[in-house]
Amino acid sequence: MSDSKFDVVVIGGGSTGTAVVRDCAMRGLRTLLLERDDIASATVGTCAGMISSGLKYRGEPEIMKMCSSEVVHLNRIARHIIMKNPTLVPLLDLSVAASDGDYIDAYSEHAEERDVPAMMFITPEATLEIEPLIHPDVIASVYYEEFFIDPFRLCLLQALDARNHGAEIKTYCEVIGFEKATDEIRGVIFYNRVSGQTETVSTKLVVNAAGPWAHKIARTSGANLDLRLNKGTHVILDRRVVNVGITVKAIDGRWVYLFPHENTTLLGTTALDTWENPDTLVATYDEIEYLLQSIESIIPSIREARIIRTMVGVRPLVPEWNVPEDKVTRGYQVIDHENGMISFTGGKLVMCRHMAEAATNIVVRKLGIDAKCTTHEVPLPGNEDDVDIEALSAQYGISMHSLERMRARRGTEMVKVLELTKDNPDWKTTICICEPIIEAEIRYAIRNEFPQTLNDLRRRLRLGTGPCQGTFCTFKAAAILSEELDLEGDDFLVDILDFRAERWKGIRPSMRGEQLAQEELAQGMYSCVGNLDQSDVDYDPKPWEEGN
Amino acid sequence: MDMECDIIVIGGGMAGLVAGTIASKNGFSTILLRKGQSATAYSSGAIDVMGYLPEATEPFSSPEEGLTAVAGLLPLHPYSIIGYGEDVKPDEVANAIIGRARESLLWLMTSLSETIAPLIGSFESNIHPITILGTTKPTCLVQKTMYSETLEQNQDSVLLFAGFTGYPDFSSSIAAKTYLEDRIAIGASPRKVGGCVLQLAPFGKTYNLSSIEIARHFDHKDSIEDIIEQLKKQVDQFGATHVAFPPVLGLKFAIENKNILEKSFGVEVFELLGFPPSVPGMRLQLALEGLFKKSGGKLMVGHEAISYTMKENQVTQVIAKAPRRELTINTKAVILASGKFIGGGLQGDQNGIREPVFNQMTVTGAYHSANDVIPSRYTNRVSISPEGQPVFSCGLTVDPHFRPVREDGVEWARNLFAAGSILAGYDYSTEKSGLGVAATTGYSAVKNAIDAIKGVA
Repeated sequence: MSDSKFDVVVIGGGSTGTAVVRDCAMRGLRTLLLERDDIASATVGTCAGMISSGLKYRGEPEIMKMCSSEVVHLNRIARHIIMKNPTLVPLLDLSVAASDGDYIDAYSEHAEERDVPAMMFITPEATLEIEPLIHPDVIASVYYEEFFIDPFRLCLLQALDARNHGAEIKTYCEVIGFEKATDEIRGVIFYNRVSGQTETVSTKLVVNAAGPWAHKIARTSGANLDLRLNKGTHVILDRRVVNVGITVKAIDGRWVYLFPHENTTLLGTTALDTWENPDTLVATYDEIEYLLQSIESIIPSIREARIIRTMVGVRPLVPEWNVPEDKVTRGYQVIDHENGMISFTGGKLVMCRHMAEAATNIVVRKLGIDAKCTTHEVPLPGNEDDVDIEALSAQYGISMHSLERMRARRGTEMVKVLELTKDNPDWKTTICICEPIIEAEIRYAIRNEFPQTLNDLRRRLRLGTGPCQGTFCTFKAAAILSEELDLEGDDFLVDILDFRAERWKGIRPSMRGEQLAQEELAQGMYSCVGNLDQSDVDYDPKPWEEGN
Repeated sequence: MDMECDIIVIGGGMAGLVAGTIASKNGFSTILLRKGQSATAYSSGAIDVMGYLPEATEPFSSPEEGLTAVAGLLPLHPYSIIGYGEDVKPDEVANAIIGRARESLLWLMTSLSETIAPLIGSFESNIHPITILGTTKPTCLVQKTMYSETLEQNQDSVLLFAGFTGYPDFSSSIAAKTYLEDRIAIGASPRKVGGCVLQLAPFGKTYNLSSIEIARHFDHKDSIEDIIEQLKKQVDQFGATHVAFPPVLGLKFAIENKNILEKSFGVEVFELLGFPPSVPGMRLQLALEGLFKKSGGKLMVGHEAISYTMKENQVTQVIAKAPRRELTINTKAVILASGKFIGGGLQGDQNGIREPVFNQMTVTGAYHSANDVIPSRYTNRVSISPEGQPVFSCGLTVDPHFRPVREDGVEWARNLFAAGSILAGYDYSTEKSGLGVAATTGYSAVKNAIDAIKGVA
């Protein structure tokens, strides 16, 4: 065991995996992260980013307490990528309040440590003043506050910080097997999708944070793991159509919400048990209508908003039977398979650091090392100080709007991006107009954050996530990526096709209204003018493009 | 306020402006209502007639070959409507379609010859101009600044792509790579291709440059001189025989600038096909508007047709809305050329696809009712493919006179005609047929409208 290259190999670059790799690296372990796609490319990349107070889980007081303290920790280490959403629960009749009255006490118990007011009832007048789109028949609202984090940046920052602490991060490396000796894992075999090579690394332990694929990874190692996979869909609107978050009860009594999120508004979610390959899932008409009709009961004009796309993810829940999705515990389990692998099931975004701490505690104990967790104390990159947007705008001659969006991704690190524009003033050019994103940040991300594709740049920068859905930035960003990575012409065209395919996956199910004109324009550009529909480049169909 | 005219054209893109100009030239008083910017202005400016059959991967060598195939294989295509004319004999269908398309495009070429957007190319063969991505596409006509015949003909031609610092719409290095890889793959010249980047500061700006800004800059006298100086070194060093620019050589003086550049270096200079905001698209739009106004037509920008009055199977009035007024216009005939989703001629939501002014019946590309289809159901899983997205083949169905029809197949009104991308039965993006269909159907619809007015009179 002593000649292993790594102490621990972490499988999965989601919120939990990146939190584990950070914790392990900070405790001095030789750590490798293997991710089959990109950082935050699956479940966490499709969530609303809510670091929940645990309100929905008031039946589990211990979990509510943990959620609350994790919000405090995240606000300490990552406040630059966190926003607060005041939230209203508008009531059209008193039965909703009466049936669910105990959540007020449960929420308010820990409110003070999160620096938010206790949950309160507000008048219909106050409700409509806060959010005039709410149904005029509203009789009262419940008011509370929740925090939201940029889930992509959280994962990326955890991975980058782990790298700063000596960990190795490998994306596009899919685990396909394990080397074992007397039933103990000694090495991990993975396929490197970039080089096309199969590689093996030796390790003492493996942490399986593969989310909706965790059971498959466990099985590959000879262990057994049960999961309950559950599909959740969001509908995304083109701007912040509401001032505050709105939550309502859907036709089946589940809670659904409308949350302003970055430059958009998220409407979610559905919950459907699924046995499909998570890579192939797309939103259905029923899911979209379920969400729209639910929110329409409180925001009657919701259909006038422009829907830009849908977003689908899979929750890897604890495998409880005979209970609806929202009654399944949101606690997590750490499972020691006693074969050198430790797996997770369940959990929520807000708990990712806590889950990592629990697993890493087991890891260090097994390795016989005495090292304390500090992930809740040490800030993530960019959260070292405040940023003065006004001063930076004057200094670098870039609009405050652009800089504020950059700040929300990078905090203090944005100064490094802006420094690039001193030698290259033309890199102040806006490439993604919706977000907006300037060329310097794209080049900085390519050089420092290991993206391979435009889709990876989307996760790092929110490239192509606005109303035009990449219509105008795809070809510009592809040219920059090609230049930075010295790609061939064919790769440039494949990058464009790949990103159009990924955007289309979410655009297609909800395409209506202005998005029909938007897509006509995109087709006009990339097919009609660019003739890319006739391109003979080596394009691999995506999982959701196959079949009928 | 009330107005009076013979023909109202709704929509100010290619189809509407062709129809309006012809109506006006024939002595009919014509009012053209334009809500906003047309899709024509967003186009690359290339006049495609027929590049590919749906789902096919081999391009047609000529518009004639393409239209012959349409006549034989695509009976619901807008081009095929021409073949249903009462005076067309059964064995003359293909010739009738080809003849009408040729006539329309020749008219367009002749009409635009003295404008800022004169065309080259011919009906006898498709050409394959280069795009800003470094790809090529088959088309029929392009503006004279946008094609070099000698580039592919000369064995020893050397092409230099020229981009601009701070102008993100075009990367000369990646376009050069893409184009050269394509040339090598098909074993064609040029065999030497490169890229260079020039500095430019239109209006003092060195970044965030748009195509329109650069074109306006080049329209200023002498501003091309600075580019000549910078480009000279690059051309000499690379030994270029041809220089390709993104489409920004000027809104008014692109041809003059091309000539100056060519004379300075003894090379051929041309513009690439590009994306919106599109300078060639705007040149085409402005040129077409110029033709319409010169012919005596009345162009009413910012006016949206919102409703109509009907009397005895005829539209007698169109009501138009502008920010500060509403107009009632009395008319003898109406040409509906309001475009597809970009133009606003069609609207779609979860309840179906609608034509908002007259509430005409809409159909899918296969002529099934589209009034209650969910748009996403008429799409393919693959975003960019020769199969395209069928929802963009939805539109209106018309009789042989280009009059929209009701469910029973009879015309909705005796004097309402439709033209351009509002018509069902084709996907211009995958076919490469957009402005060709627009010109040909605009030309045909107005001829029928004129006949109808004459018949009534």
